[in-house]
Amino acid sequence: MNVRQWARDLRMGARFAFTGGREGWIRVLLTAVGVGLGVALLLLTTAVPSVLSARDQRSDARADYPDRYGHEQPAKADDTLLIAKLDTTYHDQDIRGRLVQPDGPRATLAPGLTKYPAAGDMVVSPALKELLESGEGKLLRERIPYRVVGTIGESGLVGSRELAYYAGADDLDQHRDNWQVARLDGFGGTEQMSERMDPVLILLVVVVLVALLMPVAVFIAAAVRFGGERRDRRLAALRLVGSDSRMTHRIAAGEALAGALLGLVFGTVFFLIGRQAVGSVEIQGISVFPGDLNPTPVLAACVALAVPAAAVLVTLFALRGVVIEPLGVVRTAKPARRRLWWRLLLPLVGLAMLYPMFGQGRDNGDFNKLLVIGGVLLLLAGVTALLPWFVEAVVGRLGGGGVAWQLAVRRLQLSSGSAARSVNGIAVAVAGAIALQMFFAGIESDYTSQTRYDLDRAQMSVTIPAGTPLAPVTEKFAAVKGVRKVTALGVGSAGDKSWRTGEGPDNMAQIAIGDCAALRDVAALPSCHDGDVFALDVSWNDEDTKALAKPGRTLHLGDSEVSGKALDVKWTVPQGLRHARAVKDANGMERGGFLMTPSALPAQAVRAISGEFYLSLDESVPDVKERVRNAALAADPFANMTVWTSSEESTKFVAVRKGLLVGATCVLLLIGASLLVSQLEQLRERKKLLSALVAFGTRRRTLSLSVLWQTAVPVALGLLLASVVGLTLGMVLLKMSRTPLSVHWSSVLSMAGIGAGVVLLVTLLSLPPLLRLMRPDGLRTE
Amino acid sequence: MTPPPGSLLTAENLYKAYGPTNALDGAGFSIHPGEVVAIMGPSGSGKSTLLHCLAGIVTPDSGTITYDGRVLSSMSDTERSALRRSEFGFVFQFGQLVPELTCVENVALPLRLNGTPRKEAERTALSWMQRLEVDDLRGKRPGEVSGGQGQRVAIARALVTGPRVVFADEPTGALDSLNGERVMELLTEAARSTNAAVVLVTHEARVAAYSDREIVVRDGKSRDMERAV
Repeated sequence: MNVRQWARDLRMGARFAFTGGREGWIRVLLTAVGVGLGVALLLLTTAVPSVLSARDQRSDARADYPDRYGHEQPAKADDTLLIAKLDTTYHDQDIRGRLVQPDGPRATLAPGLTKYPAAGDMVVSPALKELLESGEGKLLRERIPYRVVGTIGESGLVGSRELAYYAGADDLDQHRDNWQVARLDGFGGTEQMSERMDPVLILLVVVVLVALLMPVAVFIAAAVRFGGERRDRRLAALRLVGSDSRMTHRIAAGEALAGALLGLVFGTVFFLIGRQAVGSVEIQGISVFPGDLNPTPVLAACVALAVPAAAVLVTLFALRGVVIEPLGVVRTAKPARRRLWWRLLLPLVGLAMLYPMFGQGRDNGDFNKLLVIGGVLLLLAGVTALLPWFVEAVVGRLGGGGVAWQLAVRRLQLSSGSAARSVNGIAVAVAGAIALQMFFAGIESDYTSQTRYDLDRAQMSVTIPAGTPLAPVTEKFAAVKGVRKVTALGVGSAGDKSWRTGEGPDNMAQIAIGDCAALRDVAALPSCHDGDVFALDVSWNDEDTKALAKPGRTLHLGDSEVSGKALDVKWTVPQGLRHARAVKDANGMERGGFLMTPSALPAQAVRAISGEFYLSLDESVPDVKERVRNAALAADPFANMTVWTSSEESTKFVAVRKGLLVGATCVLLLIGASLLVSQLEQLRERKKLLSALVAFGTRRRTLSLSVLWQTAVPVALGLLLASVVGLTLGMVLLKMSRTPLSVHWSSVLSMAGIGAGVVLLVTLLSLPPLLRLMRPDGLRTE
Repeated sequence: MTPPPGSLLTAENLYKAYGPTNALDGAGFSIHPGEVVAIMGPSGSGKSTLLHCLAGIVTPDSGTITYDGRVLSSMSDTERSALRRSEFGFVFQFGQLVPELTCVENVALPLRLNGTPRKEAERTALSWMQRLEVDDLRGKRPGEVSGGQGQRVAIARALVTGPRVVFADEPTGALDSLNGERVMELLTEAARSTNAAVVLVTHEARVAAYSDREIVVRDGKSRDMERAV
């Protein structure tokens, strides 16, 4: 055997693939479509680095206020700009909002804009424009009432579906002291905090990538074997004219190679079509621009080489147990019994590779990435290796039942390999997903902190900057349908020295102003009348309040947030000062300092008092939170709203979890599509037999049930094996990260359920073609 | 037109088109119980379509098919399926045995579809396999037996329910002459022993020789070789 001989046989096989008439073409097309789907997903994966880098670059280029906080701001000049951050949330979607007021005609221009909108106008992202114009955006239009005069270009947006706007303003000077307002002389170029990612999260990312890509590889391996049975019969004719067994195998590999090469072309086309469509899609809040989806050349080249090579190797491997004889009969009735030992070896070696990293935790957690990838790959590959043996071992023992069951079981007994092959992809995906879900659930508490909010008392809080009178705002909130109770507190600070001095006071304490009902939410008051002032006794050591709470002492009221230019109103601690014990407020905090009823506050100090509102909501009222946001922003555009939750998750953890969900969605769609293609392929091969069975009176229901059993049995076995391997891998990952072992049965059941759901859906989708194939027309030969 | 007296299955003025091609163009047919009728004609003449219409597998565009006094075209698909299960038997060119079932399971399949318990169905199947001299193949799968053996298994399957009509579409088309003759002998003998009528589609004169009567189909029209239809 030499290279020329190999090349000649492969070439001959490739030619046969396209010259086999309609049958041959259909087989090549099915293979190409199957491989193409896998290739498209692989190309998508190779484009992930470019997507991330493009998103980062655009995000950096438009960096403005938050990244510049703490940096010295430039003086007003011809090229400077006043900008205010007005981010908001609408129906759980984040909206990036900016108010802009150029200081001069040469004001630095934000990426994606050609000029700044005039006061009252705004430029919006295409997605926000769509939302505002839709019925769904009705409430948002009230919140962002500016006139749309243009759209933000691609360079100003992180993703294609990002919701963002720049609105023109002419009064930002008045809010110069607000922490949300900054002066800029340029966008971007800020120093990025390079933060080392937690090793456990790196481990997670590596495992997510392996677990998502492995099913794609398994699927491609299955796709190149589409139509194998019919091809084997055709190859017998080649034996008759003198080709030896190995030549025949190489010719078969050549046919698969042709399908794989066409699959590469299809995959590229699918990718390009998908790339165009991707701009209008958003999954889990992530959207990308088509132009960002550029496969990394080296990785794309790997795909282009690996797929055809895999096609050849898989075909040669698959044919090693098939005897093709010259007389046109392929005797496949009794294949050699599958051996268990080498199949078990794969997951065991995988475990052995992961073992050295047990207990590394996150302190010194430099997980050897190669060992992790190798170990996880081998463990998951173990599913694909063990499944054919497992299916064969189980179906070999099945019997009895009705005709549909008998037809299905006998079919599985005869060709358990192809049944296992069609389920392999989904089994690997489910095993990986179970392991990851377990791992996620195990380490979730490390990345999730419980908030201190008392959700029984309030579900939302709003803060309003100093200067806005509180009573009208309270009325506005109370008027919102679905708001049950509004607790309003004015908040400021009292110090022993003027707030206008450079260093500010030495001792300072918080003051909270509210009516008696509101004050009772933060302290146990003995009695309360308007004009009363209380000093709070707290469980923690509040030396400042002790020092300041001396009747007759003059204190300076101001705003601790903005020193220097702040108001400074003198206030004498009244002789009638009483003490009250602080209790935890809805915020979960125990306040210190002073409590004042409204008439105890000097009138001049009102401008130094910001507002805090705690709202109890009837969440069954539609859009109650959106209406509260609208009311708050109508009262003050710089109002800040927080929807309270019982826990908060680390953003990186959430990002990895989102990545998994996006990837898992793509992989499940691919596997669903591939299962459908392989199911149709199998049905097509049996068209004549199905027609014959119907001809002699077999009920369609019987045949449909038999097809369902044929799918359900291997799927059930596949999911069982996937659960075992998934649980094992999950435990290994938990051990590696030194997290207490616990089995999350809900993860196992939900993942297995999703896998089963995909199969059920595919079976339902394949029923119409099955019914069509069962028409007696199938018996026609002319 | 009334069916010939005593006929079991009759067809009159059958028309069937596949797209622009007229497969049947006014064909007619009749057969009596226990009679073997060969439908002959060149490839593409419409003989298989005629057989499929007679068996209720395909519905003609127009014309009437009467079986035992019942009009086939007025029966529902379910009724026609039940008729095929209980009263008709089929033999196709390549046997069309279910590859995953053993030979005895294949023969027993029509009985099982009729609700006969598995053991009883396989006992009856085995007795038919004995009559057709293939009982030694009972545990083998179709892929493990020769073409002639497979066709004999298919004949056993066609006869196992005791049908009143057996439809055989080129039953020897894939066999050598020796095997073909043996298969035809067994088919006609077994059918006659149960008084089953046989509708035999073939283009081979030596196969047609086993019939009592021949009908020639050409361009969708039929012609009885003994009496013009």
